[in-house]
Amino acid sequence: MSFPLYTTTKSDEWYERASKVIPSGVYGHLGPAEGQFIPVNRWPRFSEKAQGTYFWDVDGNKYIDYMCAYGPNILGYCDEDVDNAAIEQIKKGNCTSSPDKIMVECAELLVDTVNTADWAFFAKNGNDATQGAILTARAYTHRKKLIFFNGFYHGVSPMVQKIDYPGVTPEDVANNLYCKWDDIEGLKKTLQENDGEVAAIIAQPYNHGNFFDNAFPVDGFWQEVRNLCTEKDIVLIIDDVRAGFRLDLAGSDHFFGFEADIICFCKALANGYNMSAFCGKEFLRSAASSLSYTGSYWMSAVPFAACIACINKLKAINAPKLFNDLGTELLTGLKKAGAENGFDLVTSGPPALFYLRIANDDSMLLHQDWIAECVNRGVFFASHHNHFINAALTHEDINRTIEIADEAFKVVKNNHPELFK
Amino acid sequence: MQNLMDAKTLAYINMFGVLGTLENLCELVPEANEIIKDQKPISIGFDVKGGPAATLFFKNGKCRMEQGCGACDVKLPFSSPEKFNGLIDGTVTPIPSKGFTHISFLLKKFTPLTDVLSKYMRASEEDLKDPVFFERSTRLMLYTIGVAIAQIGNNDEIGKFSASHIIDGSIYIGIKNDIGVELICKDNRLVTVKKPPEKYRAAMIFDSIETARALFDGKVNALTCIGTGKIEMHGMVNMLDNVNRILDRVALYLA
Repeated sequence: MSFPLYTTTKSDEWYERASKVIPSGVYGHLGPAEGQFIPVNRWPRFSEKAQGTYFWDVDGNKYIDYMCAYGPNILGYCDEDVDNAAIEQIKKGNCTSSPDKIMVECAELLVDTVNTADWAFFAKNGNDATQGAILTARAYTHRKKLIFFNGFYHGVSPMVQKIDYPGVTPEDVANNLYCKWDDIEGLKKTLQENDGEVAAIIAQPYNHGNFFDNAFPVDGFWQEVRNLCTEKDIVLIIDDVRAGFRLDLAGSDHFFGFEADIICFCKALANGYNMSAFCGKEFLRSAASSLSYTGSYWMSAVPFAACIACINKLKAINAPKLFNDLGTELLTGLKKAGAENGFDLVTSGPPALFYLRIANDDSMLLHQDWIAECVNRGVFFASHHNHFINAALTHEDINRTIEIADEAFKVVKNNHPELFK
Repeated sequence: MQNLMDAKTLAYINMFGVLGTLENLCELVPEANEIIKDQKPISIGFDVKGGPAATLFFKNGKCRMEQGCGACDVKLPFSSPEKFNGLIDGTVTPIPSKGFTHISFLLKKFTPLTDVLSKYMRASEEDLKDPVFFERSTRLMLYTIGVAIAQIGNNDEIGKFSASHIIDGSIYIGIKNDIGVELICKDNRLVTVKKPPEKYRAAMIFDSIETARALFDGKVNALTCIGTGKIEMHGMVNMLDNVNRILDRVALYLA
C-alpha cells in the first residue's frame, strides 16, 4: 500500500499570518523552532479540528497523533464523558467570586487517588505546579538551594531555567545545583558541600529529556534519594507533569516504589482542560498555606469538573495498563518494520511515553528523515521528544502507523543507498 | 562594560573574530589586497596582558593569523583587555614595544586595511546596494560571527555553560552549501574553521545570503526564519540549541 504525501500550503499561509502578529509565529513547545519538526515544511503548523486519537490540520490532513498535544490528550480528543462534565459545569458557573464547591471534590479525588497526597493545591500550568512546589519547599525549610538532575525540564520560571537562556540572569539561578542523573555518589558530594542549605531536590520520575534516550533510574536510586532527603530534611519534589497518570494513577513515585514529599501534575489531569496541581504530604500543608501564590483562573470550576470525569474514567479503564499494552504493541511493530528494512530503531522510556531514535548514524539525519516521512503520511511524531499514548488509540490505528512507518523506512533507505549496500 | 559581558571575552573576539577576519578580507576584497600585495613580509604581534596574543603575518599578498606573538617584527603590547578593545573601537592608539622601524607599515598599510575592514563590517546601506559588496560583506560577517561563537564558548562564563552542553563533533553554519564555517567541539572547547566541513553532525543553513544578512543586521527574527524554513536545522539539534544560546551572546558582544 502506498500512502499519499500531505501538503501543508494553508498551514504555511497561516504561519505567515501568525509571524506578523505573534512572536516567532508559534512560540514555545508547539512551535517549529523547538527542534522537533525537522525539516519544518513536513509538519502542519495549525490544526482545524480533533477527535479521539486524530487531529486534522488546516489543509484537511488527518493525523494519528502520538504527541497528544504534548501530553494533555490522555483519553482522546473531545472525550464525551469529560466534555459533558465540563459543559454541565459551565452552565452552572466557571470563574466566580467564591470558588465552586467542585474544587473540594476535585481535591478529595486527588487525595484519594495520589499515593503521597494529603492535600492538593490547584493552578493552571505545569510551571505553576513546579514553582509552587519549590516555594513550598523553601517556605518549609527556610533554605534557598535547589538540586536538579542534568537533562531536566521543570517549567519556564527563571529559577528553573538555565543561565544561558534569554532573559535569565545569573542571580536567577544562583541557588541551583546540578547533579548527574543516577549518580548517587555525586549527589551525596553535592549535599555534603551544601550541607544545611538545600531546600529541595526536584526531579522527573525517570530521565525523560529531549534529544536523548529516556532512562529509568537504576535499581535503588530513588530509595537512596528518598533516604537522603529524609535524613537531611530536604523536600523531595517529583515533577510528574509529563508522565503523571500514564504510568500509575497513584503517581509515578508510586510506580517506582518510593514516596515524594510533593508531586506535580498538569498535562493528563483533565484531558485538555486547563489546570495543574501540586499535591503534598501533611507536614508541608502549613508551608503551602503560607504562600502568596494565586491566579485569576486557578479556581475556575470547569476544569475541576473535567478533571473529576477524566480521573474517574482513567480508573475505570485501568489506563496505565491500557497505555502500556498499546505502546508495547506499537513499539514491537515499529522495531520489526525497522529491522526488516535495515534500521536499528532504538525505543526507550515506558511504552506509554515512548522515545524513538534510529541508531544507524551518529548525526540523527536518518532518524529525522524517517520521522518526517511518517508525519508527511499522517503519523504525527516529533523529531526528538517522547511520544504519548492516549486511550482512544485503536489496534487499527497502530496497524496503520506501522504500515506508514514501514513505507517511510523504505523511502529513507531508498534515499540513502550509500548507507544500505 | 555592559552587564553580562566581560572585557576579556571581548578581547578574544576582537583579536580572532575581528582582526582575524583580515585574513579573509585580503583574500576576498581587491581593495584590501591592493594595499598589501607589494608588501615585503612583515608580522605584527598583539600581546594583551591577561588576554589573547596573536600575530598577523603579511606575505605574498596574503594575510594569516597565528596564536601567540613570540616571533614578530612589530609588537603591540596592551596592558589589559580593555586597552586592546580600545584599539578596535578607536579610542586607544597603540605604542609598539618592538619594531619601531616598521611604523610606516602600521600607519600607511595596516590602518588603511582596518579601515577597509570597518567599511565591510559596518557597511552602509548605500554600499550594500552593490551585490558584490553585499556578498563579500556578508561572508566576512559570517566568518567573524563564526569565530566569535568559539571565543564566547571558550571564554565567557555563560558561554562556557552553553559549550559544556555541546557534545563532540562538527557543526556546519552556512549559507546553502558553499559559504560557511565549521565549529568543531571537542571536550566542550570550540574551534572555528572558516570553510564548510566535509562531514558534520549538525547543521544550521541559511537559504540565501539575503536571509543571512537580514539576520546579522537584526532585521528578521531567527525563530520565525526557522519556522518558515529560511533557516534549516538538522542533525544533532541539541548541539545547535546550545550554539544558538551562544549566538545570542555574539549579538551582545558585537553590537
